[in-house]
Amino acid sequence: MRNQGFNWHDPILWAQGLGVSVGVFAASMILGTVIGIFIALCRVYKVPVVAPVLLVISEFLKNSPVLVQLFLVFFGVPVLLQVNITPAEAAIFTLTGNTAAFIAVIAISAIDAIDRGQLEAARSFGHSERSILRKIIAPQALVVAMPALIGLAVNQLQVTSLISAIGVIDLTKVGQILNQRTWQPFIVWTIIGVTYFILSRLLAAAGGRLETRLRRHMDWAGL
Amino acid sequence: MFWDGFLVTASVSALSIVGSFLIGVIVAFGAVSRRPFLRKAARGYIGLFRNIPFIVQVFFFYFGLPEIGVYIDAFTTGTMALSIAVGAYAADVLRSGIENVDTGVIEAAEVSGLSRFKIYRRIILPIALRVSLRPLGSVFINLVLTTSILSTITLNELTGNAKIVASDTFRPFEVYFFLLLFYCVLTYLLSLLINLWHRRLNRFMRGAE
Repeated sequence: MRNQGFNWHDPILWAQGLGVSVGVFAASMILGTVIGIFIALCRVYKVPVVAPVLLVISEFLKNSPVLVQLFLVFFGVPVLLQVNITPAEAAIFTLTGNTAAFIAVIAISAIDAIDRGQLEAARSFGHSERSILRKIIAPQALVVAMPALIGLAVNQLQVTSLISAIGVIDLTKVGQILNQRTWQPFIVWTIIGVTYFILSRLLAAAGGRLETRLRRHMDWAGL
Repeated sequence: MFWDGFLVTASVSALSIVGSFLIGVIVAFGAVSRRPFLRKAARGYIGLFRNIPFIVQVFFFYFGLPEIGVYIDAFTTGTMALSIAVGAYAADVLRSGIENVDTGVIEAAEVSGLSRFKIYRRIILPIALRVSLRPLGSVFINLVLTTSILSTITLNELTGNAKIVASDTFRPFEVYFFLLLFYCVLTYLLSLLINLWHRRLNRFMRGAE
């Protein structure tokens, strides 16, 4: 069989892989941010029992390889709980947990960076804790956290490439498929690498623009 | 089985830590160089290897090198790819450390007639390391975790061996859970070591604190 050359079907495969990578990245980033903020709030408000447990879990997630976490969820959990998990579910679940652990750290340090005096002032003006959180803490913490969040997002995008190891047909897996068929490793991996590179750069640029926008209203505009 | 895997992980990690540190130092000095060409090349290097997933880089080398007639085993390829990739992260950390070194100190060293190499080696690097050792430590911890990716290019380190054990025993959960804990312990020990080194480097700084 001579199907070693690249053909018209390959760009479609590439686009599908790109879609899967971006999809898993977006899903895990959004879910991870929500859960990460929840973890951070539990720890900032020192919720008993929950806060220390979450701390242990997130330390565990931060200090172990994502690849092994993926293996644990995809190969280990189905055997333990007698359930079926698709590769994509395992991938999103694992990456969400991982992202949440890092988001929690960023959120806690961003909240810490806010001047305590402001909170006391808000309390003495009779703001509820909820409105303090929404109107005073959240907008400022977001600005402080932006650079770290952009860094994390770029990093998590790279991490999505690992889901190819549990059989998700993402960009890296597409690279492996094309590499095995065509035996043109330099062309295949250069294209895949450049795709990730451009994605990362676009992500960082978008984050940078968002950051300047968020900062704009904080600049001193004069009275 | 487990011990063999640990030895491979440990030796890949140790060699790549040394390798990436050396690359990091060279690239970092390039990135702060006065020559625009060197500066651009070094920053391009940092940007390139930080924005492409490690697994893609490792496949590039693992499948690409034999194409151009270089036949080396997975261990060497892995160590090399890790050193190159993590070197970019190390370089970025060291660059900001170097940029924080007081220019007065460098000028003083130049006036004293020290050679360029001596200034780099004896003056700038030790001072920069004091600040950047902690972030450098987390880069190296990440390196140890990244070695697990080398299992995808058939290197039987901890993760590669765990895969074999998991399929032999049909107990994937226990195997991978234990493996995760083991990586945690490993990185914790490494962070203790880095803390010790950090304290040693900053032993003259007590008064300033």
